[in-house]
Amino acid sequence: MLPYVEVNKSACTGCGVCVETCPPDVLRLDSDNKAFMAYPDDCQGCFVCQWDCKYEALRVRVR
Amino acid sequence: MFETIETDVLVIGGGIAGAFAAYKARASGARVLLVDRSYFGRSGCSALASGVYPSYMPGDRTEDWINGLGAGPLVNQSLLVKSLPVMYEHLTTMDRWGVKWLKEGRQIVRLGAPGRAFKNGVWMTEGGPQMMMAVRAGVLAGGVDVLNRVALTRLLTSDGKLPTEGRVIGAVGFHVRTGAIYALHAKATVMCAGPYKFPYPWPGSTLGYMPVDLSGDGIAMMLEAGAELSRLELGGINLNPDHLLCAPGLESLMPSGAKFVEKNGRRFLADYDPKRMEMTSRALLYFAVAHQKELGNAPSMDLREIGLERMELLKNAIPIVMASYEGSGVDITNQPVPYSYQVAGTAGIFGAGARISERGETTIPGLFAGGTCTDLAYLPGGHLPFCSVTGHWAGEAAGAYAIGARREPLAPRQIEQALSDIEEPLTRRDGARYAPVHRRLGELLMEKVGLVLRADRLQTALDRLLRLRADEVDRLYAADPHELAKVWGLKHYTRVLEATLRAYLYRTESRVAFIREDYPVIDNVNWVKMVIVQKQGAALKLWDEPLPESFHVVPVRPTQHVHLVFRQKETADAAVR
Repeated sequence: MLPYVEVNKSACTGCGVCVETCPPDVLRLDSDNKAFMAYPDDCQGCFVCQWDCKYEALRVRVR
Repeated sequence: MFETIETDVLVIGGGIAGAFAAYKARASGARVLLVDRSYFGRSGCSALASGVYPSYMPGDRTEDWINGLGAGPLVNQSLLVKSLPVMYEHLTTMDRWGVKWLKEGRQIVRLGAPGRAFKNGVWMTEGGPQMMMAVRAGVLAGGVDVLNRVALTRLLTSDGKLPTEGRVIGAVGFHVRTGAIYALHAKATVMCAGPYKFPYPWPGSTLGYMPVDLSGDGIAMMLEAGAELSRLELGGINLNPDHLLCAPGLESLMPSGAKFVEKNGRRFLADYDPKRMEMTSRALLYFAVAHQKELGNAPSMDLREIGLERMELLKNAIPIVMASYEGSGVDITNQPVPYSYQVAGTAGIFGAGARISERGETTIPGLFAGGTCTDLAYLPGGHLPFCSVTGHWAGEAAGAYAIGARREPLAPRQIEQALSDIEEPLTRRDGARYAPVHRRLGELLMEKVGLVLRADRLQTALDRLLRLRADEVDRLYAADPHELAKVWGLKHYTRVLEATLRAYLYRTESRVAFIREDYPVIDNVNWVKMVIVQKQGAALKLWDEPLPESFHVVPVRPTQHVHLVFRQKETADAAVR
């Protein structure tokens, strides 16, 4: 199983909190100022981004 | 180019040990800088804590604590007793900082385990993530400065040498996003970056559990600086649910009535510790599950008899664990959860690393340490409070030291060398690629070390490790600063792993989760000792020292008996040797 972060781009405001707090440093903001997984292999599925996003734009999923 | 930052006390690592070290050092009047490779409050093990802070409360009987934690002959029991009131102080401090504990009215309450009178578990009602963010807020309000996303590679020393004959005067490293290099110049340095395990496991490998980035950087830096390390051989294994990158949450699951069963539903802990069953010492629990896996008995954790009310509490106390189950489609109300173990090459959460005094002093002046990168945190249970307490002691002593110490100048040639070493993997375009080297290292661990150790296999593992390190790990290419941090993680990991394998070979007995097929006897006559590892020149030296009698509140009986693994199974012949 592989954890990943699903970003609801219409809900993401680009505030960058998830980028700041992601423990294994997986997330960045793209050119549209939306969160994305820059280093998907390193996602540990810890849910920190999901909790820290007050706009409920991020969901941790497993594939 | 690099930026120099001066401080009185440099604290490395932002888990609960680093947090209390920084807080206490600042309270002594020193300027304090806390550096975290990730984000202080979200990094490491503490933020993924298992939902319970086991804490002493005034009126507890100390013998209940020693018995309750299963503190055996190698544990510093006297220190455990000394730590008890400090745990309570931390509990109340964290309460003031806003950590959400389970309470009845305004009173913090403790829960025990089914059928046991001893209650020591204080529950977090919003889990480790809330606890550490509240701790972070408390520490920042105390006036501690923080530098996030900086991975440190080396300690700096007054004589410019590693190993040093002088003092530790700070550390050097790089920002994991920008690549900017920092020389952190301090009067005292407190290392709180532990524990270590195989870092960044690949999905589906049995090496995996959260957090993924524990590569032993702190232990490696102390080793390179010449600090004496101990207890490296006593960790061995960690548990995790099959196929989930998940912290196991055992501190709250076990006292909630979770049962470990084999494939026919039998509770196999009856074979290992029939009195305490799942509430046995954490080291023995880990070993029992791993052993059942080796025997092909498909161990799993059965949560089906946990009541609804407790299940609700668990959902809040260990939100990551419960969300991971849900997200991966595991219905814990309907089926047991299969478990795997992570093989040796790790000290895990059991605490191994710098040999420290009760004031957190390492064997190098100016270098202090707390938490699971030290030998004092070795305790078969209750790790979170022992980390906060040893961090507290180290921070307090480092603050006092820094106030009295003169600032030693940085050694320009040491900085120059450190800078060139840091950046070298970024320039080595023809170098080895991270992913295949990382995988080969993991496979070497699984194939040649394993659960039950033996000298010939350990020697092969050591020989191959040294070749892999020289030919590939030290010749890795890093595409950007993010990957550079992972490359440095592997460099550090392989240094600590060498020390660990040599310590495995040195201890010629078996004990709890340290199992040697060629030395199957638990030997309380010859091995109530610590094995010390130190880098001297370019080589590692090992020796042993008896534990002082002052360690033991409960006297050690000089017994020798065959480890139950060899009593249970067809390996009786091994017992004869």
